[in-house]
Amino acid sequence: MTKICSNQYAMNSPHAQKLSDDQSQKLYWACLEILEHTGVRMYEQEALDLLKKAGAVVTDGNRVRIPSGLVEKAFSTVPKSVTLCDRNGNPAIRAGGYRSYFGTGSDCLHILDHRTGEYRDSVLQDIVEGITLCDALEHIDFAMCMFLPSDVQQDIADRYQMEAMLNNTTKPVIFVTTEFSGAVDAVKMAEIVAGGERELKQNPFTACYINVTTGLRHNKEALQKLLYLSDKGIPLTYIPSAQGGVTAPVTVAATMAVNNAGVLAGLVLSQLKREGAPYIFPGWGGNMLDMKTTVQPYCDPEKRAQAIDFAHYLGMPSFSLAGCSESKLVDQQAAAEAALSLFTDALFGGNLVHDVGYLESGLCGSLPQLVICDEILSWLEAFMKGVDVSDESLALDIIDEVGPDGQHINSDHTLKNYKKRWYPQLFERASYNVWQRKGSKDLGQRATEHVDTILAEHKVEPLPKDVANAVHAIVEKPTA
Amino acid sequence: MADFQNIIDTLIEGDQEKLLSLAQSALDEGISAKEILEKGLMAGMDIVGEKMEAEDMFIPEVLMCARAMTAVINNLLKPLLAAGDVSAAGKVIIGTVKGDLHDIGKNLVAMMLESAGFEVYNLGADILPDKYVEEIKDKNADILCMSALLTTTMPMMKVTIDAVSEAGLRDQVKVMIGGAPVSQDFAEQIGADGYASDAGSAIRLAKEIMKR
Repeated sequence: MTKICSNQYAMNSPHAQKLSDDQSQKLYWACLEILEHTGVRMYEQEALDLLKKAGAVVTDGNRVRIPSGLVEKAFSTVPKSVTLCDRNGNPAIRAGGYRSYFGTGSDCLHILDHRTGEYRDSVLQDIVEGITLCDALEHIDFAMCMFLPSDVQQDIADRYQMEAMLNNTTKPVIFVTTEFSGAVDAVKMAEIVAGGERELKQNPFTACYINVTTGLRHNKEALQKLLYLSDKGIPLTYIPSAQGGVTAPVTVAATMAVNNAGVLAGLVLSQLKREGAPYIFPGWGGNMLDMKTTVQPYCDPEKRAQAIDFAHYLGMPSFSLAGCSESKLVDQQAAAEAALSLFTDALFGGNLVHDVGYLESGLCGSLPQLVICDEILSWLEAFMKGVDVSDESLALDIIDEVGPDGQHINSDHTLKNYKKRWYPQLFERASYNVWQRKGSKDLGQRATEHVDTILAEHKVEPLPKDVANAVHAIVEKPTA
Repeated sequence: MADFQNIIDTLIEGDQEKLLSLAQSALDEGISAKEILEKGLMAGMDIVGEKMEAEDMFIPEVLMCARAMTAVINNLLKPLLAAGDVSAAGKVIIGTVKGDLHDIGKNLVAMMLESAGFEVYNLGADILPDKYVEEIKDKNADILCMSALLTTTMPMMKVTIDAVSEAGLRDQVKVMIGGAPVSQDFAEQIGADGYASDAGSAIRLAKEIMKR
């Protein structure tokens, strides 16, 4: 499993920073001022009650002004790192610091069918195949459902998604649900797999992604999920989607401030509900609406990195996005945007990096694109390793022994060490002639073939029959 | 019945110790050194060559196989082989042309040719046309292999071929060329008999060229 790690040991791996600590502090103070002075709307009574009881001021029915002290207090109880286990309860992901883990996104409406090239509505089988691929790919660390299945009952599509994830990978899964009841059922399923409520809480192998209307307007479903999951001790990421130019001023700093005011409001609530509840910050900030196309771009350079810096400044784990593209095809733009975004997140040290394999700004998914991202991540894993400059790695004795006239290709030192260097699986290095002999295929063609090979060969460790049946029973009888 | 498949598999794994002991057991069973060489070692190296061309093997692994094979030949088989038993696949003169010091690829080809049963004379790098001519005469060579990595030294290949022709040896030797800037077109232009883009195809070409 990949553990790309930016700057874990001082200067032993590359790292980058976009916001200075002073800028982060200024941004933090701005968020506090918004919460205290402007306030946020919360459309859930329990949230209002909890905040009021803690000292917040509620006016106009549901407009809440949160004192800075409550935010400061929340930071003293929230965990600074979140461990996610695999389906068997073994720790797999330690989100926090500069450790980066990568996974897919959720709910694409379309798929670029790798067998036919057709652009079509996605179905349940696409999720099964996508998650199987996630299970097999070495550099994909967690799974999200990737697609919205158009061929199942739509109001309980999220139950089908959760079941498909649980059945087809042992890696940690992050779920998204439409309604609150969907989150309750997803937790029920996870508890069945973990062997009980306490077992899941102790070794969570799942987390919930919660979308919030905007930083200043918190919808009922988001708040219900936040309170329920905090109480259960299940990790969650709480993501207001402030749109620069629409629901927040268009400048990056202002959009960040509005968005993160909402994130801090969620943090306060989670800790008021249960001190110590795990909480993950969004790792992108400064969204904008593309004023030419009204699309919300995923690979926007200006929304990248500063939110990860801000999370580092606050000492919190982050949930960011990369490996995604606005392109409609698995083409040059898709490869370039995937590589650039994965590279920045690895370099800045985003923790849980999702949306790997997305096309069309989050509306379309592609299995070959996911495989290409896996290759990019393999490259990045090698790149992000520090350089070993030790007496052993310098091998001065060997240099002297072989001298200017000898050669190293058949030396014991080479034999012992050559495999430690990185070799591509999909990126082509062969000479023109050899490449021609292999069929003159481009990266997209090679990735497509690789998808077919994996789907034909990879066997996922199945859930025990009775567990799988009990999980399926929830799909059959969903919570209303 | 000797287990040639086991010898072949062990050679491909590059496990020298095991290969030595398998060859020794085969000899103890009364299998002839010639048969072990041809049906075991050579057959194994053929597969290694194919795997290398298909990018199924790393070069150091290939060299490990070659090294294991040489160890068996030198330590066990050589004293038992009659002069006529090992008819070399062919005699090869190989070197990097005058003005060019690059020899990694060329050495690789030399080692691979050797393990494919050729008798190889590796002259080194920066070799004058006259030196090639002298060695071809002296060793009665079947194939001349030339390498160049620089576009500036490529013309020396033509100069060398001309020198070979002038010495009246052009009918005796086939000429193979290789190196990053070299191509099939260039080979035809300068009157070489063949071009190989990598060590694996060089072995294939050498075997093929010997049958012409």
